[in-house]
Amino acid sequence: MKTQREPAAGDSRTDHDLVYAARDGDTIAFDALFYRYRDGIFRLGLAITKDPSAAEEIVVDTFARAHRALARLEPDSSLRPWLYRVAVNLSYNRRPRKGVVLSSLDDAVDEALANEEGSPSRVAEKAELRRFVLGAVDALGPKHRLVVVLHYLNGLNLTEIAEVVDCPVGTVKSRLHYALRRLRTHLAAHPELGIEPTRPLLATGLRAPKPITAPVPLEGGE
Amino acid sequence: MKLFAHGCEHRQAAYLAGADRLGARERIVLEAHASTCPDCADALRNGRPVDIALRGAFAPLRERRTMIAPGRVRLAIGPSSGTPNRWLPWPRLFSRLTEVSVMLAVTMFAVGSSLEPSTRPAEPLSPTYSVVQEYFLHARAPLDEIDFLRWPKLVKADDSPTVSDSTRLPSGGRFDSDPVDVVRATGTSPR
Repeated sequence: MKTQREPAAGDSRTDHDLVYAARDGDTIAFDALFYRYRDGIFRLGLAITKDPSAAEEIVVDTFARAHRALARLEPDSSLRPWLYRVAVNLSYNRRPRKGVVLSSLDDAVDEALANEEGSPSRVAEKAELRRFVLGAVDALGPKHRLVVVLHYLNGLNLTEIAEVVDCPVGTVKSRLHYALRRLRTHLAAHPELGIEPTRPLLATGLRAPKPITAPVPLEGGE
Repeated sequence: MKLFAHGCEHRQAAYLAGADRLGARERIVLEAHASTCPDCADALRNGRPVDIALRGAFAPLRERRTMIAPGRVRLAIGPSSGTPNRWLPWPRLFSRLTEVSVMLAVTMFAVGSSLEPSTRPAEPLSPTYSVVQEYFLHARAPLDEIDFLRWPKLVKADDSPTVSDSTRLPSGGRFDSDPVDVVRATGTSPR
């Protein structure tokens, strides 16, 4: 059964080549594009709609649109921003289905943590911490949450995010900065994260500021 | 001049330092600035744990995968072949022509029937009126009581086959019946 999937999934051609091949009727090339971006679009749809079946429909609809737009597509380097942009629009235009209780992002964490190693108490602590952080992300406004999700979940850099949300890089920086400040305010309530409250709270004397004793370490690769 | 700037202008860069992967040179400049600016020092110091917390929280979600096959996309796209069948539009064309012709016929019928009353000669009276006229204006009612009650049944209003008498008049506490039946039953005594 993996006779056709493996060559498509492991295709080393660039998006540009795959788009042109798919335009000429090469279904393997289109399948390669599908396998390349399927999971990312699914995660993005899941983060916005919080409904796994809706996220799967978004994947299908996104690639159906891509297939219809093959003749017009001219990807310079990557098709990812275009696909993500379509997926974001589809996700926000999708109305929640009746009778479906939408789960929060943190519900998806539970499934992932089921396979995590360690003592049950430690796993529970981690799950609680993650739930707390994702709850704070859920509390952000849609624009700011989208930027955070695209950056931290889908791994897009600021330039790619700007392409997806169709606004200047400066706006993306501003939104991410605002989101991180809001998140800092929320996350400071959890003592295990080691985040200080924001400065207005410092002025009230709730917590003494820490002096910088050592330079902040340079950013290492992840 | 920044009218609405709150705090240092480098604070945004300090928050984004973890997220945006500053280069070594930019980082050194930012840290040098942070040593003299408490806002930026605070942002730089706390931006990093926020970044770590977010990366840790999203890490399990990044492993989420789906098992959708490309066949579902093909189903969504629908059947597509390289050379379209040139006979394919014909049934649709015929059905469209049928719809248009039926619509025209109905329209013409409606317009024709709406014009008809002006061209048709006016009818003198309705059949109902003529029957009433025959019963109560031209016929003389019998004076006997029983016959008076039977009279509407016995007197036939109009024998002409063109006039249809749809009016049924009450007689003796029940509706009258066909006059032919009444005539046939004249030998019997009334109850």
